[in-house]
Amino acid sequence: MDEIVAEFIRRTILKIPLAEVVKILRIWNFLPESQLKTLNLRQSKESVSQEVVELCKKKHASMKEAAILDIIYHQTCQIKKIWIVYKMTKAPGEEVDLFDMEEFKDSFKKVLQRTLKNVHISFRESEDNAVWIRVAWGTPYMKPNQYKTTYVVYHSQTPFVFICHCRIKKYIPELCQALMTAGSYHEIRQMELRSLYLDSLKAIVFKQYNQDFQTYCTPLEERNLETEIVDPRIIHENMKEKERIQRVTREAFGDYVQPRIEFAQYKLETKFKTDSKNGILAEREEPFRCLVKFSSPHLLEALKSLAPAGIADAPLSPLLTCIPHKAMNYFTIREK
Amino acid sequence: MDSSNVPEFTPKHRVPPRLRDYFTGASPFQRQLASVRKQTAFGQTPTRRKIPLCSPLQENIDPQKIAFLLHKQWTLHTLTPMYRFSYANLKQYSMHLKSFLAAEKQKGLAMEMGEDFNFKVTFSILSGIKGTHRDPAAFLVQIISKSQLSSKNAEDKVVWTGWFCCVYGDSLLENISDDFTCLPLFLANGAESNTALIGTWFQKTFDCCFTRLTISAFNLSWMAAMWTSCNLEHYRTATELLWSAPCSPQSLDISYAINPEDAKALWDSIHQTPEEITQEEVDLFIDCLCSHFHRHFKINLSATRLVCVSTSVASAHTDGKIKILCSKYLIGVLAFLTELAIFQIE
Repeated sequence: MDEIVAEFIRRTILKIPLAEVVKILRIWNFLPESQLKTLNLRQSKESVSQEVVELCKKKHASMKEAAILDIIYHQTCQIKKIWIVYKMTKAPGEEVDLFDMEEFKDSFKKVLQRTLKNVHISFRESEDNAVWIRVAWGTPYMKPNQYKTTYVVYHSQTPFVFICHCRIKKYIPELCQALMTAGSYHEIRQMELRSLYLDSLKAIVFKQYNQDFQTYCTPLEERNLETEIVDPRIIHENMKEKERIQRVTREAFGDYVQPRIEFAQYKLETKFKTDSKNGILAEREEPFRCLVKFSSPHLLEALKSLAPAGIADAPLSPLLTCIPHKAMNYFTIREK
Repeated sequence: MDSSNVPEFTPKHRVPPRLRDYFTGASPFQRQLASVRKQTAFGQTPTRRKIPLCSPLQENIDPQKIAFLLHKQWTLHTLTPMYRFSYANLKQYSMHLKSFLAAEKQKGLAMEMGEDFNFKVTFSILSGIKGTHRDPAAFLVQIISKSQLSSKNAEDKVVWTGWFCCVYGDSLLENISDDFTCLPLFLANGAESNTALIGTWFQKTFDCCFTRLTISAFNLSWMAAMWTSCNLEHYRTATELLWSAPCSPQSLDISYAINPEDAKALWDSIHQTPEEITQEEVDLFIDCLCSHFHRHFKINLSATRLVCVSTSVASAHTDGKIKILCSKYLIGVLAFLTELAIFQIE
């Protein structure tokens, strides 16, 4: 077995958390179950990966199999890399052909290898008609660098493609061309939507986030039975406003768990205006340029909690509530 | 400091007339404010400040020598006056500190030093980092790890840097006896463990006290206003304010970055008196930014916490971290920090 392959497998195993190693190896299905059972997981990670490499050596693993292992790792573990969503469109009047996975893979490979020498392409199909494509990039004079890879997830029944560039911007046009040709599409466009969480992006784009929408509403009175305030008038006013906020928030965000994205960015190019009449910047025609970025481990849930917490007005601005519906988290706002 | 050609303004303070345009800290109003501050149970921060442009002594600063102070993140501390500290003994101090650190290392205390024992400690004066002649000279302490490589050209690596300064510290210097040296502002860059050890040595040797200097949202907003008001030839970075919203269960950070020219235009539109910034102007500046934000997002930034301010002049974090980006306003930034440090000490 090639030293490069051995090193690559060793490094990939090192990246996997110890608890997931056997699970991933099992999915990989390259090493027999009997060997996996005897794998000693109580030793250091270094030793575990070394042991796996030895087993792979005996079975003469090649880069092809190692690439599949890499894909499975990316599919199973939470990778901290940004996914960007692209949408492909057919030319007007074009017919929708029946999709054939093998044709797609062949075509993609041909187109990409024709334009760029020295690329290493691997495919792994998953359920729901999706295919993961892994491309390792080289140069005309150098073999593909297995550590310089881009991942593409394409759901064949949809026009959406999710690409994890891993900071390799050079070959985006060639990659897009290959996708369009193989998928028989006319155009591909980058959407203003990106996130670390591929599942959330899928949920937003396939409109699956509102699937467990439940139409019951718990009235606020039921929840506050324990609090006893002597003066009934006070409760009534408080309750009304709180209820209104809850209702408006629920209307904007729904009752379901929000898809998980971690930031939203707004480029503001509107004029500066305040309510007060002190005339600050009143004559200024140029826009007041700002860049606002919201970040949170779970942005939409955090935004949802702002109005009930009193930090924001209810209803919250549609600029924020439209994120899942418009499938965007990068915005440019100009004066109307 | 006396200067025989200078007409006396007051019996106590002699200020050359050419300093009138700069932040003097010695005007009757300022002194009155300082004494009022000491009388009240709760300290009062001044409601107006002269814009600290630069110090006349800044001409003495060699820009190359202080270049290493810029673009580095410093952790801020306050230091109470040091007893019997002498600038003549800097060499002895460096030897004592080195043996202290070596002894601690031998005890097994964790120290980020790189190679064992092969380090040296230097104390040096930082000339020009002061506001008036009354301010004591700033000095610098560095721990340099000597390379283990036998080659003569092997570079020494600076492992830890700390500097002590006092810029326009008149309110502290007024009533202090000569035995004490007042350098209330201490900035450190390097491993926390080293800072703690060196702090311990200073505390033992000079009977002083260190604390972390935190910057309140109130003072951060002053910094945003003051630094936006500075005139620069070109602005490298946006004026950025970072707010943290106390959502539960997930935290929410809001970064609000304004184009620096637009921020300056807003400030110029608010600012009335030349050479002075008032509390009302700072409040109005922040309010304007918050209401522009509210117009778009319906979020009340005033209900969240201002955590970090970043401009082309400097950036500061509420935990007490500062990065100075502009040598022109170095003294101005240090003057404000010195004021905060003195306020915290008192």
